[in-house]
Amino acid sequence: MTGGDEAELAARAGRGDADAFGALVEKHQAMARRVAYAILEDREDADDAAQEGFLSAWRAIARYDPSKAFRPWLMQIVVNAARDLRRRRRVRAADPLDSVSAASRDNPAREAGDIDLGERLRAALATLPERQRLAVVLFDAEGYAQAEIAALLGIPEGTVKSDVFHGRRALRRVLSTVKEEWDE
Amino acid sequence: MNEHSPFESAPDDQLGAALRDALPTPFGGVFVNRVLARLRQQRSRSWDEELAGWFWQGLAAASLVAALAGWGLKVFGSADEVETAASTSVASQLLEGSTPGANVLLASMSSADAP
Repeated sequence: MTGGDEAELAARAGRGDADAFGALVEKHQAMARRVAYAILEDREDADDAAQEGFLSAWRAIARYDPSKAFRPWLMQIVVNAARDLRRRRRVRAADPLDSVSAASRDNPAREAGDIDLGERLRAALATLPERQRLAVVLFDAEGYAQAEIAALLGIPEGTVKSDVFHGRRALRRVLSTVKEEWDE
Repeated sequence: MNEHSPFESAPDDQLGAALRDALPTPFGGVFVNRVLARLRQQRSRSWDEELAGWFWQGLAAASLVAALAGWGLKVFGSADEVETAASTSVASQLLEGSTPGANVLLASMSSADAP
C-alpha cells in the first residue's frame, strides 16, 4: 500500500467508509500494537490501547490532512491512547522484570538452559525508560526516521538519537549474550 | 551489528527483526474484527445519540410553534373586538362627556347626513 493509497483510503474513511478504515487498521495494527506494548509492557493493555487509538483516529479522521503522511499521524494517536491507558491503569502496573523473573523461575525449560530471546528482549526493554523503549522500537523495529520520532514524541531529534543509542546498547547486550549461549 | 556509535542514523535490521519477533502481535484478523465491531457499535450509538439530540430540538421547535400559534390566535382572534371597539368609540366618547376631537365630530356629522 503506497502513501497515495493510504491517503485515498483515509479520504474515503473521512467520508464515513468503514471498509476503507478497516483496510487501514489491517495494515497498521501490528505496528500500533507493538508501539503500545513498548509503552504499556502488557499485551492485553497494548491491544486495548491500540484499539482505542484506532477508534480515536476514526473519530478524528475527517480532520486528517491528506498532504501529510498517515502513519505518523496514526501513531501519534496510538501513543497518546497508550499513555492515557497507562495513567488510568497505573495501579495495575506490576514490575515487569519481577514478572519475567517469576515466569523464568516457574519455567523448567529455562532452568534446563532453554533460551528465549523474545522473553529476554522484553525483559531488557522493561529496564529502559519509556522514551528510550519507544525510540528504539520506532526506529529499529518500525523504521521511523529520527526526525519523525522527534515530531511524534515532541522531543528534539538529538534526544531521539541519544535515546536510540542508549536503548540499543542494552538490547544489543542481550542479543550478544544469547548468541554466545547459542554458540556454546 | 555496528557497535555503539551515537551517530548511527540507519536502523539496525538485526535488532529490529529481533524486536518484532519479541513483540508479536498474534491474531491480527481477530484484532481488526474487534476494532471494526467497536467502530460499528459506536456508529450506531452515535446515530441513536443523533436522534436523541434531534428529539429534544424537535420538541423545543414544536413548543415554539405551539406558543406562536397560541399568540397568533390570541392576536387575530381579538381583531373583531378591536374593530367593534373602534366603531363604538365615537358614541362612547360623547356619552362620557369628554370633549370629542374634530375627527369624532366630522364622523358623527357624516353619519347623520347619510340617508
